[in-house]
Amino acid sequence: MSYEEDNSTYWERLRAGDKQALFALYNNTYSHLLRFGLKLCGSDELVKDCITQLFLQLWNRHATLRPVTNVPAYLFTALKRQLLDQLAYQSKIHAAIHRMTDQEAERELSYEEIIIQVQRDEELKQRLQQAMKTLTPRQIELVRLKFFEGLTYEQIASQTSQTVKTAYNTIYDAIKALRKLLK
Amino acid sequence: MIDSAVCIIKGINYMNFQEYDAIDFACDESFQRYCLEEHDKDVLFWQHWISRHPEKNAVIAEARHIVELLSARQGNRLEQLKHLEDGIARYDLLQQALSGEPEPVVILREKRAPRLLKYAAVMAGIALLAGSIFFFYPRNPVPGKNVVINAGKDPRKTVVLPDGSAVVLRENSTVQLSAGFNRENRRLSLTGEAFFDVTQNAQYPFIVHTAAADIKVLGTVFNVSAYTDRQTETALFKGKVEVTPSGNHGQKIVLQPNQKLITGETMPGAVAPLDADPVNHKAKEIAWVRSRLEIENEPLEVIAGKLEKWYGIKVVFADEEVKHYRYSGTFESETILKALDALQLSYPFSFKMLNGEIIISK
Repeated sequence: MSYEEDNSTYWERLRAGDKQALFALYNNTYSHLLRFGLKLCGSDELVKDCITQLFLQLWNRHATLRPVTNVPAYLFTALKRQLLDQLAYQSKIHAAIHRMTDQEAERELSYEEIIIQVQRDEELKQRLQQAMKTLTPRQIELVRLKFFEGLTYEQIASQTSQTVKTAYNTIYDAIKALRKLLK
Repeated sequence: MIDSAVCIIKGINYMNFQEYDAIDFACDESFQRYCLEEHDKDVLFWQHWISRHPEKNAVIAEARHIVELLSARQGNRLEQLKHLEDGIARYDLLQQALSGEPEPVVILREKRAPRLLKYAAVMAGIALLAGSIFFFYPRNPVPGKNVVINAGKDPRKTVVLPDGSAVVLRENSTVQLSAGFNRENRRLSLTGEAFFDVTQNAQYPFIVHTAAADIKVLGTVFNVSAYTDRQTETALFKGKVEVTPSGNHGQKIVLQPNQKLITGETMPGAVAPLDADPVNHKAKEIAWVRSRLEIENEPLEVIAGKLEKWYGIKVVFADEEVKHYRYSGTFESETILKALDALQLSYPFSFKMLNGEIIISK
């Protein structure tokens, strides 16, 4: 079964009251939802809480859920709404609300912005920012595909039309440089 | 480094890790999956490997740090999953408790309640009791008679009360449940020392009587030490409790998490922070009950034996196959329910309470 078919099956089982299907759907979509949420707001804690909340509500309302053709799309939309509600409630991340509601200015956070924003230690933020500046755009792109998007070296190689070895070496060198600056 | 590129792609390689530095580990795909808890196989493999190579601890820690930084802290799926499971278990217990009640009082049913409030209601239960546990209680406790539970000479004795709350009694300590416990009230009296992990039930507050104080609870984790008639120490870890020292009408003291209160002759007693152990920063007040279990690829049968011995409750298997499930890792928990819960996360099984025993099955 494909990923998409899996999720549709889980959705139907969830509607029928199958709790295991809820957990399976959660495990299947967790990393996708997390990455999606992180691009909207740079707080991993908030995104993780909202994902938990989203699934609790799905369970709470499972009997009244409707059939859905694209389950991940449904979950993304629901998570976005959830995040907006939370941000509005906390009303402390004005810029993010603005970004997410203002159609014209809508833009995702960049990878560098995300990894810096989720850090809580100010000094580390500074050093990470400085360190990222020393990487080439190519290196940043490959590090993003590897560590943020979670692709394998093989997938990265075929996506960027290079050999696996080159992809690995590029990432290795990037980390070596980062490590030196972060020490 | 070119060599390692070849072996990473094949998956877990059992050979070269000894010579790896932090960069090699950070670039290793299996190691990355371990950091992000993506696959149980990688998690188990690395837990095992790391426990066998303490000399690599610093290198591993640095590599983990790098992966964590670059993945924008995407890890801890399992911990998050547990939050969800806890929340749902709590929700289900609540529904169970409410079924048959014509006028449910609980916020969950309130359609117009703001979203956050609903969440708060569900999350309040989190961390109290465990995932997929099924409780079966003797349906007919002798009516009108007080149930007395005594730890005797055991260092610890665990009981799960009819309302699902877990109590760990210290040696020579006794609790006595009031008549109608869980049907008309949730009152009990304590002599000695006990650790309580209380389920929520708005209808019947959970009340612990000691010689020196009454402690009222609405779903929480705390330790009460009441060895003498003169003094009671209440240490709170989660939730909220209200202490009413006896012989002093109307005076109530509300404790916040990580506070303790000593009541007794030197009344009214001051609220103080818990004593943190300088080494592990854990509260000393419950050192007697907390177990630290270091498991390295052991079958569940052996682990269950250790838990049985530590927590003082019989553990039996309903299923031969489950006995041979193997686990690795370090688990720290205050009740056996939490310990089993943690194990369930790496490889699932079910457990239930029946006649004062814990029964593990597939």
